[in-house]
Amino acid sequence: MASISVPVGGAPSQSAPRPRLRVSDYLRWSVDHKIIGVQYMVTAAFFFIVGGTLAMLIRWELLTPNLDVVQTGAQYNSLFSAHGLVMIFLWIIPMMAGFGNYLLPLMLGAKDMAFPWLNAFAFWLIPPAGILMIGSMLVGAPEAGWTMYPPLSTLFSGDGQTLAALSVHLLGISSILGAINFLVTVKNMRPAGMSYWQMPLFVWAIVATSIIVVMATPFLAGALTLLILDRIAGTTFFDATKGGDVLLWQNVFWFYSHPAVYIMVLPGMGILSDVLSVHSRKPIFGYKMIALSSMAIGIVGFTVWAHHMFTSLQPEMRIPFMITSMIIAVPTGIKIFSWLGTLWRGKIRFTSAMLFSLGFLSMFVIGGITGVMLAMIPFNLHVHDTYFVVAHLHFVLFGGSVFAIYSGVYHWFPKITGRLLDERLGKLHFALTYIGFFFTFFPMHFAGMLGMPRRVAVYMPEFQGLNATASIGSFVLGISTFLLIYNVIASLRGGRLAGANPWRALTLEWATTSPPPATNFVGEPVMFEDPYGYGTEGAAAYLDAIERQFGAPPQALAADKPASPAAQGASGD
Amino acid sequence: MQGDLAEHRLTPKEELDLKNKRTGLAIFQVSWIMVFFCLMFVHWQIRIQSPDWPPPGVEKLGVVVPSAMTLALIASSLLARRAYRALRAGQIETFLWNWRMTIALGAAFVLVMAFEWLTIPISGQYSNLFRVLVGFHGVHAVVIGALLVRVYRSAMRGAYNSGSFWPVEGAAGLWYFVTIAWILFYAVLYWS
Repeated sequence: MASISVPVGGAPSQSAPRPRLRVSDYLRWSVDHKIIGVQYMVTAAFFFIVGGTLAMLIRWELLTPNLDVVQTGAQYNSLFSAHGLVMIFLWIIPMMAGFGNYLLPLMLGAKDMAFPWLNAFAFWLIPPAGILMIGSMLVGAPEAGWTMYPPLSTLFSGDGQTLAALSVHLLGISSILGAINFLVTVKNMRPAGMSYWQMPLFVWAIVATSIIVVMATPFLAGALTLLILDRIAGTTFFDATKGGDVLLWQNVFWFYSHPAVYIMVLPGMGILSDVLSVHSRKPIFGYKMIALSSMAIGIVGFTVWAHHMFTSLQPEMRIPFMITSMIIAVPTGIKIFSWLGTLWRGKIRFTSAMLFSLGFLSMFVIGGITGVMLAMIPFNLHVHDTYFVVAHLHFVLFGGSVFAIYSGVYHWFPKITGRLLDERLGKLHFALTYIGFFFTFFPMHFAGMLGMPRRVAVYMPEFQGLNATASIGSFVLGISTFLLIYNVIASLRGGRLAGANPWRALTLEWATTSPPPATNFVGEPVMFEDPYGYGTEGAAAYLDAIERQFGAPPQALAADKPASPAAQGASGD
Repeated sequence: MQGDLAEHRLTPKEELDLKNKRTGLAIFQVSWIMVFFCLMFVHWQIRIQSPDWPPPGVEKLGVVVPSAMTLALIASSLLARRAYRALRAGQIETFLWNWRMTIALGAAFVLVMAFEWLTIPISGQYSNLFRVLVGFHGVHAVVIGALLVRVYRSAMRGAYNSGSFWPVEGAAGLWYFVTIAWILFYAVLYWS
């Protein structure tokens, strides 16, 4: 298939009926990547609510300097341990996999993933893992944090620690299988006319992520195997009194878990690259640099793990890891400036998707800068294990990954369901999330620099002002989530129809009906030569042809200004 | 060459399918070998903690039997390769004979190493590390060995020929993986 500028299809849309979504399809084994993608996302969203509830309990406890919600420090330990484990392994990583599953074949003009059965199998490992994780909270909860450092996780934590480790083990295997599928799909199933340099940047991000997953996650599998053996089989790999080594865990764990940070944020960066370009009606600035910087982050990400251990490492090992940790800010900076270059003089549409992407840009820069601060050894030694680290990681993982997920949800929900989310509610959701997020986590920087340690339920009274601010912010953040849930439910019940391409985007997933038919495309999809060639006459002609073929968004949408993407898009290509 | 001709007869969909499986298997091999590297790193990290290795009073493992078994495993991999080539060339009898020998040598390796695993004197970290490494590898050898047997049983029913060979190629690929993973562990356990 050659890449031509304008699809030939001139037939009006009536011939293509909109496929109906049935709930029952999503509750059973299916090998359709679209159904699996949604299964991933809905499962992850459920665990987001679980993890969010735990977060609310944590912040409620920290409203006052004394114990009030929980009776003992141990209970508090189990709260934040479960919160971290659930949010990382059952929310962000599966959610990103959900986006990847849904979008990758569509963006590549393929009918499905390379291994549909394996894809379904990878997903169905998650519910049992989730049950194990929730079960772990009930049978002597894990208390060693999501990092599971021995000897806390071997000699002190409850039986739930073993279940949690098994759960993460399963999730790791699920991730690896998913990543193999992504890589094979991208390598072998691109349409004939699509070179690597014509792939959407989300696809590039998934490639970089998948390379990290296949190379790093096996280390987690190895480490967890040893941890489980130490807990149940009487081995002493992590017991320093019996010839073991606690640092061993830290090395092996972070060799996986620092790259895992990029597993969580790179797909978000891919989402951002697509959303920013579409909603500012401009070609992406520095396409190759964004694509290559994803790969660079993936590679350099393997050389920075010991910066998590500056206080425990041999001093002579610190400097090299400081240097690599600072170097990794360079490809990230390239991305940030490329995104700013994309926005520069664009015809920006402040849709909810765009707002969340802009939110990512601002918040992630803060998280990135505190990351460079933490890479500096003297500063790191000062704030090690304080709330400064908590602030940093939440700015990266919530201000980064979760904002990107929200942005992706608003952007692709119309494709997945055929209906638009309500933009007014979406903007309110954004405002509450942005404000709630900022006031939850920004004060933690100060608390940390003043010396408040992380993972404590009882703190010195002088930190109460900062903590109360954070707690109130977090309640706003918690409430904001319900707006999205309500928006999704309301839209599913009777949201406005989206049409095939409500945002007038050029990537291939929009060149089919919303939701796409079971085979994704009717006939061979026709791609535009440049996935980000917005603002050219060729692009406008291509998008008009897509509308002629699949039908324009309904009139009601076009009349609704200024939120209407279609109305602005028509003049803004 | 005959095999390549057979591949040319595939429909585009079958061809893509085969290409996908080959790529997927290659990525899996590169990926999962990392667990073995992880355990090698663990072995190395723990032994440098210990002033003497093996620890005082612990007898060093003998190398003769494991070395013979390593050779057996390597031979079985080479035979698997020959079996696969014979199948692609349409020589079903040669394929079956080589595949049988692959399984026999593989089974010998598994049984002897299981005996070593069971009889090593318990001595703290030294025997623990041995048991974890050999046990972890053994699980892979048993599972993938069972796959070889399954492929053999299908082959006896005539399921494979020069144009239909993926299960053989895939199982052989996994068996190479078992062999390479073992060579890593063998070097670490007996020669470092």
